[in-house]
Amino acid sequence: MKRRDFLKILGVGGVGTGLGYFFGKASKPPAAELIPYLNPPVDVIPGVANWYPSLCTQCSAGCGIHVRVMEGRAKKIEGNPLHPINKGKLCARGQASLQALYNPDRIKKPLKRRGNRGKGDFEEITWEEGISILSKNLISLSEKGEADQLYLLTSQIRGSLNNLLNSFMVSYGSPNYLQYELFQNKNLLHASQVTMGVNAIPHYDIANTKYLLSFGADFSSTWVSPVSYSYAYGQMRQGEDGIRGKLVQIEPRLSLTGANADEWVPAKPGTEGVLALAIAYAIVEDGYYKGPDAASWKALLSGYSPKDAAVVTEVAEGRIREIAKEFGQTRPSLAIGGENLARYENGMSGLVAVNILNHLAGNIGVRGGVIPNSNGSRTIDFKNNIAALAEAASASKVKTLLVYDTNPVFTTPKAMKTEESLRNIPFIASFSSFMDETTAMADLILPAHTSLEDWGDDFADPSVGYPVATLMQPAVSPFFNTMGIGDIILSLAKGVGGKVKDKMQWNGFSDYLKDAWKENYSKDKDMLASALTFDEFWNQLLTRGGWWPDEKAKVKAVSVSPKGIEAHISKVSSRFEGDEKGFPLYLTTYAHSSHLDGRGANLPWLQEMPDPMTSVVWGNWIEVNPTTASSLGIKEGETVTVESPFGKINAHVYLYPGIRPDTVSMPIGQGHRAYGRYAKDTGSNPIEILPFKEDPETREIALNSTRVRISRTTASEKMVKIEGSTKELGRNIVQTISPEEFKRMNKEVS
Amino acid sequence: MAGFLERITERLNIYREPGWYKKFDHKWTMVIDLDKCNGCGACVLACYAENNIPVVGKEDCDKSRAFSWLRIERYVEGEYPDVKVKFIPVMCQHCGKAPCETGCPVYATYHNQDGLNVQVYNRCVGTFTCATYCPYDVRRFNWRTYKFEQPLDNQLNPDVTVREMGVMEKCTFCIQRIRVAKDKAKDEGREVQDGEIQPACVQSCPTGAMTFGDLQDPSSKVAKLAKSPRRYRLLEELNTDPSVIYLKRVMNDGAGTHEE
Amino acid sequence: MGQEHMKSEISYREVNEDVVRTMTKTGPAYYIALISSMLVFAGFWLLPWSYQIYQGQGVTGLQTPAFWGIYLANFVFWIGISHSGTLLSAILFITQTPWRRSIYRSAEAMTFFSVLTAAIFVFVHMGRPWNFYWTMPYPNQRQLWLNFQSPLMFDVLAISAYMTSSVIFLYIGSIPDLAAVRDRVTGWRKEVYTVLALGWRGTDTEWHWLNKAYTFFAVFIIPLAVSVHSIVSWDFALSKVPGLNKTIFAPYFVVGAIYSGTAGIVTLMIILRKALNIEKYITLNHFSQLGKLLVVMSLLWSYINVLEVFTGWYANTSFENEALTYRMFTPPYSYMFWIMILCNSFMPLLLIFKKARTSIFVALIVSLAINVGMWLERYLIIATSLPRKFLPYMWHDYSPSWIEISTTIGSFGFFTMLFLLFVKLWPSVSIYEVKEDIGIPMKKGHH
Repeated sequence: MKRRDFLKILGVGGVGTGLGYFFGKASKPPAAELIPYLNPPVDVIPGVANWYPSLCTQCSAGCGIHVRVMEGRAKKIEGNPLHPINKGKLCARGQASLQALYNPDRIKKPLKRRGNRGKGDFEEITWEEGISILSKNLISLSEKGEADQLYLLTSQIRGSLNNLLNSFMVSYGSPNYLQYELFQNKNLLHASQVTMGVNAIPHYDIANTKYLLSFGADFSSTWVSPVSYSYAYGQMRQGEDGIRGKLVQIEPRLSLTGANADEWVPAKPGTEGVLALAIAYAIVEDGYYKGPDAASWKALLSGYSPKDAAVVTEVAEGRIREIAKEFGQTRPSLAIGGENLARYENGMSGLVAVNILNHLAGNIGVRGGVIPNSNGSRTIDFKNNIAALAEAASASKVKTLLVYDTNPVFTTPKAMKTEESLRNIPFIASFSSFMDETTAMADLILPAHTSLEDWGDDFADPSVGYPVATLMQPAVSPFFNTMGIGDIILSLAKGVGGKVKDKMQWNGFSDYLKDAWKENYSKDKDMLASALTFDEFWNQLLTRGGWWPDEKAKVKAVSVSPKGIEAHISKVSSRFEGDEKGFPLYLTTYAHSSHLDGRGANLPWLQEMPDPMTSVVWGNWIEVNPTTASSLGIKEGETVTVESPFGKINAHVYLYPGIRPDTVSMPIGQGHRAYGRYAKDTGSNPIEILPFKEDPETREIALNSTRVRISRTTASEKMVKIEGSTKELGRNIVQTISPEEFKRMNKEVS
Repeated sequence: MAGFLERITERLNIYREPGWYKKFDHKWTMVIDLDKCNGCGACVLACYAENNIPVVGKEDCDKSRAFSWLRIERYVEGEYPDVKVKFIPVMCQHCGKAPCETGCPVYATYHNQDGLNVQVYNRCVGTFTCATYCPYDVRRFNWRTYKFEQPLDNQLNPDVTVREMGVMEKCTFCIQRIRVAKDKAKDEGREVQDGEIQPACVQSCPTGAMTFGDLQDPSSKVAKLAKSPRRYRLLEELNTDPSVIYLKRVMNDGAGTHEE
Repeated sequence: MGQEHMKSEISYREVNEDVVRTMTKTGPAYYIALISSMLVFAGFWLLPWSYQIYQGQGVTGLQTPAFWGIYLANFVFWIGISHSGTLLSAILFITQTPWRRSIYRSAEAMTFFSVLTAAIFVFVHMGRPWNFYWTMPYPNQRQLWLNFQSPLMFDVLAISAYMTSSVIFLYIGSIPDLAAVRDRVTGWRKEVYTVLALGWRGTDTEWHWLNKAYTFFAVFIIPLAVSVHSIVSWDFALSKVPGLNKTIFAPYFVVGAIYSGTAGIVTLMIILRKALNIEKYITLNHFSQLGKLLVVMSLLWSYINVLEVFTGWYANTSFENEALTYRMFTPPYSYMFWIMILCNSFMPLLLIFKKARTSIFVALIVSLAINVGMWLERYLIIATSLPRKFLPYMWHDYSPSWIEISTTIGSFGFFTMLFLLFVKLWPSVSIYEVKEDIGIPMKKGHH
């Protein structure tokens, strides 16, 4: 071989080997470099799960959960069997909250607005930058003497986080800490206050009652504390004592709970309060009331005789008297007022009427009836609500707005002009994990942890007759570059400096939480009795998932006085906007069982879960009575325009026999314009076309407050249903026995 | 030759003889009380989370390819205002005389000794015979490779396989939980306790309508409930011998009592 | 062209020459037909099928609960057509019917090719077709055997048995003809046919054993054919699905198979005799006799159909009633149903009249109509039973996607391609049997 050739071969060979080596290295997947889980971290055993008790935040019920974590990833959420509210059970929304943690649309790090507001153009920044921007804004505001023009808007947060936020705002010098959620139960709370003198939602002991009169309360899916009530419902129906409780549902639209009821009373929309008072009248008149002041009650209710009420409510007089008889005579009985009743423009008065019913039947403070909760010292400033914020913003009295865990742009009617008023605010910062409609208008986004990554606690409201505190602890380390909300506020306090910094000296929210609980521990004798040291107590809290007493307090009877009630009951049934001629149908809206107020729409499991009453997935619909639809020439699945005096939207028609012919109904929760790939452009949002009407006392926004008209329009997309046919065709699929036969059967067995 | 044939027929039908399950420790049964079930759907979601069931999206749902192994069927009778709505959760009934088991040519579905109808994912070639034969329509097929959008795949349960395209699947009574409980009991040298195994749906059901356990254990809840005078099984006249027992709902549906 | 019987004026030499000519003389029309059928096969079947293997069964219109659709309908249809050969070759051989002689070879080939087409449909409808070999009993390390209780298992065994037997049947019967061709061609053809003819010399012993073998196979293949289609019908009848779970299915499908097979033969023969210029071998008499057969089959088919509907109505269960109503009175299936009745029950009755029976045009129309009707019947059985199963909540209508329709068209292309190849590579008219039919030449003619 010639020398030249030899050198050529050597050169090429060497270069080739080198290149090959580097290519090989580069093309190897990164995983090939990882240390295999033969040496796992200390707290991880591969293949064996860790379970962390925590708190579910998908609605305000405050159920306790167990999170199954394997190798540092959250795999499944179950109910906490020890927790008194949900007793180890969990609803669909709680199960789906896992997908909020690992959602592809999560905001992964702090963002700063780059383009115009609302255009969605953001750039990523670091946490130091973000906190410093916000701190500078707050400092400048304070220096200009406009500290009271800082507004903090959150969802209904209870517990230590609430206290922290309060301290922050107070020490900063702003009184403007508002809480706003669509389903805040303000009416229910105030009705309890007014009638029973207790500032907490009472515990409705559905498990032990034998006659449940529900005024539109959909407690099987969305009302107040659905898991707790569903569990109780199961006990009521087929409990240990073998006596089956009866459920009567009064509502213009058959809800999921109504579908399980023994009787459905389709009262005219807006008149259920009148119906309640008529039943109360019949109870007193026919002598079922055994308490004091019978004469004053009769006088108070004189305007609501069943005869007159029958005309107004379109429920037969005989039926009213029958219900009164059963309700008054069955011991114990229970009347509950749900969202449908609470969200008329005079919703609170309807709830007061329901409380009157309970009092007259002797249900308050009785097992199987209404058990007042004792979390007494809460006060709600009704004047300081979202409408006030919108007003102030329009008047340029809001310089900086901080938003956390709430989406007012979606959950307020267009008539309230929330979006326009937000545009008036010079600086908006959001702590949301998702780019929802409100966050899309922010100038600075500091994403907070989801509830599975964060610390916190909650004092359940309603509780179950005794105080229940739940602890939230991180089940997994933060998945993205986010911070806990408490930690953000504390960093902000440090950044703002001055008085605020002095008042809020904690290093992190977990320290704040621990200190708060140290105080609780030192003041409560039961807690002191349960553990020798605070550290032991704290560990107990973390293992158990919260604190609840073993000894349940005795139930005390509470009575309702007729004095002063009159002011709270309005004489007329609630008004609906829109004249009857132009807008012939009443519109009722309700919380979607999967999406609630819209918060679940970005979770694909919830989008794919068929709605219990219509089986529609990935979309929205309007429920129309089949006779109404045929008279308008509308077939199922067709798109209609739903028009109120305040706006119009499109929706697909679902022929629903369980609704009055003069009423149509739409679920709330779909119709997002932002909020991620799963939520975007699925259906329409009925809140948009509602009027801006509030309850006169509590200023809670009325959801059943307008009439609409529907007309056919060109179809945009298809309505997707899972169901084939809903006729049983005599195939004995769901077999039944009558209540009489059941009673007989029980007698034979026992 | 005769002996060989005998052995084969014996093997094929052995689990259909009465008393077979007594030789083993368990016959898993589920009891669903329709009077308690309120149709909320928590069980459906729990099943999705536990068993790595993919989300198929709007288009595929429209083509009736939704994946839920457990579904709540809803039947509506009557017109306004006498509307009767009935709910029934339906999942694989784990039939004792399952039509699907005889249909599968490659033995990808068979009856195991605990009374469960077991689906072997890697054996399935996708002839759809089992799905056609099933009277309850509980089988679901992987029509294409379903993507778990990142980072949602972090949530996947490592105890359950993610099925390949072309494979049939269905409710397994959370066999992964049954295995874990049986192994644990074996390690600790004891029997499986009643209530120790709860499939995801049973565990999540808020009303407590669902109960799961061993029918052969006389002290178990399901054994007691299975003796209820309200008991019936779905489509019992087809003689599939399902392992899911329903308790009749108490309701005035105007049709009188449905006698067995 | 207008002959009633094959006159004995045809000499043996003419027979030999005509048949060999069909194999050696090809015009451009043939090539155009062959290439287009190959293109149809590749473009309408192979390409979409590869797409389906890649993407999964999701590209079809199948869904819960209609897991079987057009693919299975095609499968049953093609198996049905396959009974043509058996009927003509075997049954009519045993009954010693004379007019079968000139057409049975093509009919046997039709059998084989349609069984092949049907077999491919089995793979098309599988979810994981690359694992198809698991449906065959082969020894493996895991000691896994098949589920012999499964009707699909019976299918695999029966169809492979039928395919093998019909191929052997076809081959054995062709040996003398292959020898005849061998002696009259040159070039590559001579080499090929020398091998294929297995050294046939035409001795008495050879003829004797040929007859014995042929008779054996004829007798053997008849119950095989009946069992194959019964087994295919049991794919459906062994389920519990209302509309499928009927004991009449086995005879129903066998009758339907013979029916559609015979109609297929009629169609094919009409085309063949024109294309290959062998009108004097396939005469109007043949069509007349086939027409009589079609009338008989049509009446049988109508009877069984009436039985099916009647028993369904008489049972009066919600399950049967819904399936029947869906099939008979719900558009679009109602249109298909009544067209099917027209095509299968009423139009063939035209063939009662001798004038109609001996008209090629009528024969073509009626036979095509019958095949359309039989395909609709198969499709209706599947597509109207599965969407209406036991639990009404799961009812969903089925409509095929473009891939499924394209595959159906492609299967016809495949069959045509195979048959065209057959016509050129194999004697499509049985030389020695035609000679038997003609009889010993009475005259000293054209040597």
